[in-house]
Amino acid sequence: MDKPVRPDLQFAKEIIKAGGESLKKCYQCSTCTVVCSLAPEDNPFPRKEMLYAQWGLKEKLYKNPDIWLCHHCGDCTAYCPRGAKPGEVLGAVRKLMIKDYSPPKFLANWVADPKYLLLIFLIPILLFMGELFLLGYFSGTEIPRGDNGEMAYSAFLPAVPWIDLPFMAVAGFAVICFYLGVKKYWLDLASQYEIKRKDIYNCIYETIKDILLHKKFQLCTTNKSRYSAHILVLYAFIGLGITTGIAAFYEWVLHWKSPYPQTNIVKIIGNISGIALIVGIFLVIVNRSKNAAKQGIGSYFDWLLIFIIAGVGVTGFLAQLLRLAEIETLGYASYVAHLVFVFTLFTYAPHSKMAHMVYRATAMVFAKAALREEGVKKQEAA
Amino acid sequence: MEKKIGLYICKGCGIGDVVNTEKIVNIAKNALRVPVVAESDVLCSKEGVDLIKKDIAEQGVNSIVIAGCSPRVKTEEFNFPGCFVERVPVRELAIWTIETDEEKQLAAEDYIKMGVIKAQKADIPEPYVIEIVKNVLVVGGGVSGMTAALEVANCGYEVVLVEKESELGGFARKLYKKVPTDDYSKGVLADVNLEPLINNVTTHPKIKVYTSSRIEKIDGQPGDFDVTISKNGSSETIKIGAIIQATGWKPYDAKKLAKKYGYGKFKDVVTNFEFEEIAKNNNGVIKRPSDQRVVTSVLFIQCAGQRDSEHIPYCSGMCCTTSLKQARYVTDGNPDAAAMIIYKDMRTPGKLEYYYKEAQNTPGVMLAKGEVTAIREEYDKLIVTVEDSLLGQKTDIETEMVVLATGMVPTTKEPQDYLIGLSQAAAKGDEEKAKYLETTKKPEFILNLGYRQGPELPFLEGGFGFVDSNFICFQYETRRTGIYAIGPVRQPMNMTEAQEDARGAALKAIQCIEHVAKGIAVHPRAWDTSFPEPNLTKCTACKRCTEECPFGAIDEDEKGIPFYKPNRCRRCGTCMGACPERIVAFKDYNVDMLGTMMKNVSVPSEDDKPRIIVLCCENDAFPATETAALKRLKLDPAVRFIQLRCLGSMNLVWIADALSRGVDGMLLLGCKFGENYQCHFAKGSELAKYRLGKVQETLDRLQLESDRVQMFELAIDEYWRVPQIINEFMDKIREIGPNPFKGF
Repeated sequence: MDKPVRPDLQFAKEIIKAGGESLKKCYQCSTCTVVCSLAPEDNPFPRKEMLYAQWGLKEKLYKNPDIWLCHHCGDCTAYCPRGAKPGEVLGAVRKLMIKDYSPPKFLANWVADPKYLLLIFLIPILLFMGELFLLGYFSGTEIPRGDNGEMAYSAFLPAVPWIDLPFMAVAGFAVICFYLGVKKYWLDLASQYEIKRKDIYNCIYETIKDILLHKKFQLCTTNKSRYSAHILVLYAFIGLGITTGIAAFYEWVLHWKSPYPQTNIVKIIGNISGIALIVGIFLVIVNRSKNAAKQGIGSYFDWLLIFIIAGVGVTGFLAQLLRLAEIETLGYASYVAHLVFVFTLFTYAPHSKMAHMVYRATAMVFAKAALREEGVKKQEAA
Repeated sequence: MEKKIGLYICKGCGIGDVVNTEKIVNIAKNALRVPVVAESDVLCSKEGVDLIKKDIAEQGVNSIVIAGCSPRVKTEEFNFPGCFVERVPVRELAIWTIETDEEKQLAAEDYIKMGVIKAQKADIPEPYVIEIVKNVLVVGGGVSGMTAALEVANCGYEVVLVEKESELGGFARKLYKKVPTDDYSKGVLADVNLEPLINNVTTHPKIKVYTSSRIEKIDGQPGDFDVTISKNGSSETIKIGAIIQATGWKPYDAKKLAKKYGYGKFKDVVTNFEFEEIAKNNNGVIKRPSDQRVVTSVLFIQCAGQRDSEHIPYCSGMCCTTSLKQARYVTDGNPDAAAMIIYKDMRTPGKLEYYYKEAQNTPGVMLAKGEVTAIREEYDKLIVTVEDSLLGQKTDIETEMVVLATGMVPTTKEPQDYLIGLSQAAAKGDEEKAKYLETTKKPEFILNLGYRQGPELPFLEGGFGFVDSNFICFQYETRRTGIYAIGPVRQPMNMTEAQEDARGAALKAIQCIEHVAKGIAVHPRAWDTSFPEPNLTKCTACKRCTEECPFGAIDEDEKGIPFYKPNRCRRCGTCMGACPERIVAFKDYNVDMLGTMMKNVSVPSEDDKPRIIVLCCENDAFPATETAALKRLKLDPAVRFIQLRCLGSMNLVWIADALSRGVDGMLLLGCKFGENYQCHFAKGSELAKYRLGKVQETLDRLQLESDRVQMFELAIDEYWRVPQIINEFMDKIREIGPNPFKGF
């Protein structure tokens, strides 16, 4: 006999509060499971997850890779005969999971609650304002210009120590949070499911391949355009990561200070990625609005991340354009805003929706290791 | 008044094209000596009807035989008040269902001959009119009874309402809140608000209320009941016209659920009824019995005893909605509280589906399909084990309190159980009966009818104690004419449904009074002024009629001689079929009449031309045959249909007579009987079947094969079965061969 479970309606109410308002409408007909293209053949989702959620069975929900195998394409929500929105409910559960797995909890609460919206932006704003104050810009010190006399953000706020130091700190913090969260999640999963494959590295490799090819997104039917939007954003981030890497190489190894000429490889990759990011996130917004009725509009939690990413893209591009146009005050302001957005993106990554990339990837690796997705593979092949 | 028969033959609808009506006119005039015979091209036209009316006025025709179409059509055209009218469906039975012209002619001749004989043998009935009172007794002062009383009184009739408790209100009094009857936008719990209804009843000038009272005895018949009411030791007898029984239900005895759900063993396992009391006594605050603590988690077990062959096998209909309501007692105003409902199936019929959906969307209410298999106590909590849930695994649920959603048992169950036991003991002999009377505690009876067939309303075998009402066709009509059962005493139902019942039965009671005032049958033959008139000088006191009457219309005197109460009678003729001395007769329906009709059916002398007589119920089987005719389904030309008021009026002498005349076979088509009977007269077709079991003796005496007489049950919508049944029967008859009496 399985271990007895105890329904916890308080947790069910938490899910409802977290964005699963429609949860109670489910009457277990299992249409969602039938229409879901991502659900494995054996013990598919999200019918059972809806029941777990109604009963408030936290353990069943959390210690289960299926929650993250769902990519929220909304087929289930579109076909639900009772107006229950399984996609939204699973989204709410993921939000609660991020909160419960990524330490520290207070940060997760800040990110999840619109009450703290100002606060989470106020921290980086104060940080960078403080730096500008230390540099004396508020007490009349003239903002230095680049070596060739042009407007240069590297002169305005030298990377070492003013940028690299805080960013390395928050990146390190994020990595630690992620590490702790993922470890806990992995152990929880392993406590419920047997790991059947020994070649974990192969699983990781296959997962990365899946993510890069966006195979799961291709299976969605209700919202096909989501595939292009999301893949665009993903590759934009990869591009921007490479850009940052090259820039760091220039800065630290070659001691070559920015700004770099527009024809330089780092600028080309950066600009293409930046445009991709802006276009991609714009498509995400359009898609979400267009499909709101069928698929659900998403929660504050979703929209906060969209806002931060859009902010990163728009302010970054704006800062570059204003710099080239030598519009100083506005340019510096955009640059600081850009830094603020990037800072929030990094700092809150383990607690915001950004964390989905790590937890979902973990679940996907685990699912492969536990041979959870055999059925889906057959489907894909077909 | 002297009888004068007029035969009118219609040639319309193709009858005149194939039937030689001239020949039939001659037969009627010369062989049957019908004084007035006429033909018409279209009898239902103004000219045709005027022709008949002229004969009535000028020639004094008062018995009219119309050979044309079915009695179910053209009823307005062929309506001649004060006259006996026999409609011979030549069109349906001869023209539409028979293939060859030669056979059509023979059938038309036979049917018209039988119609004329029927008219010759029939007298115009004179209604049975006695002095009656036009008031209604309502037994039971709950919501059903009070509603019925008000409806009757508002129609202008006097009402006597008898309630055994000291106050009116019944079960509704004991409720804390009720399910709203309008929409659920103003909340899911409504005030019971019984006072306006009670006030309307108690202040109504036409309603007399007896509280703390019981019915001591009911004698007599509709329009003329003698009802003795006892109150505080004193009795009063009043005349009553009709009776409505609304005595409701009792909760199922939860002690019987001790083993299954720990009722009695754990203090905090209560019934839905007790839970309602807790809510009412604490004004909505749910305190559990063990320590009076206010609870925040309650688990409801649906079907606690219902739909369980060991307890009550039926669905009580109201417990699901009740639990949904009581769940709100737990969650309303307490956001931390949880009400969990474990159900087999959630049954919220009709509009209540929305009530279910409301509950489903309530965060504090958890609805889960599952089977409760165990309850145990851990510290101060109860642990309920649920299996077969959609979770796919055994689940333990922790709760502070458990509510068993127990069901309804009709108040008639106890008296019925006692009476069943008594008749079973009596069947074993007088000694057993005396022992039973001595050892078994007699429950309180409700109506105490002074009827020969028993003191309470009849029940149906397998009916779980509910009063038998012909629920397919006439749901409020019990098998005691003029007594109507409503509310949960008839079948499990909720308050709204009971009120609907009350309105229906109120009108039925009024119909009853008005019909007996005019001396016509109450229902379903609601036009019939005939009634059974036994020739008691020849009665042998065999008691078959008193025992078989489906409506208990016949009492006996001490010698066993039947004593007919015509107002209780529904005119089915079951007594006429039962009587071995053939002494029971109606003015326009009797053994001799039908027997003579059968004797006049032509029996071809050729061995390869069989003749079959079909005795057929006029309520279901005959309309089904007519539908078959309307669909132009063809029947074997050997059959001749004779309609009976009810197959229960079938007298075995007809079979003996017909077979000894050379008729090759008899086919009986009656209604479905048994648990889901469709018989208008409840028992008629069943009794015919029973009597048929005894026909063997007759057949043996005549040295005939038993397969020559067969009975089939046929529902009114099964017209397509008519040719099938007849063809199969004909095959059988042809296999057996011709009746050896043919040609004698």
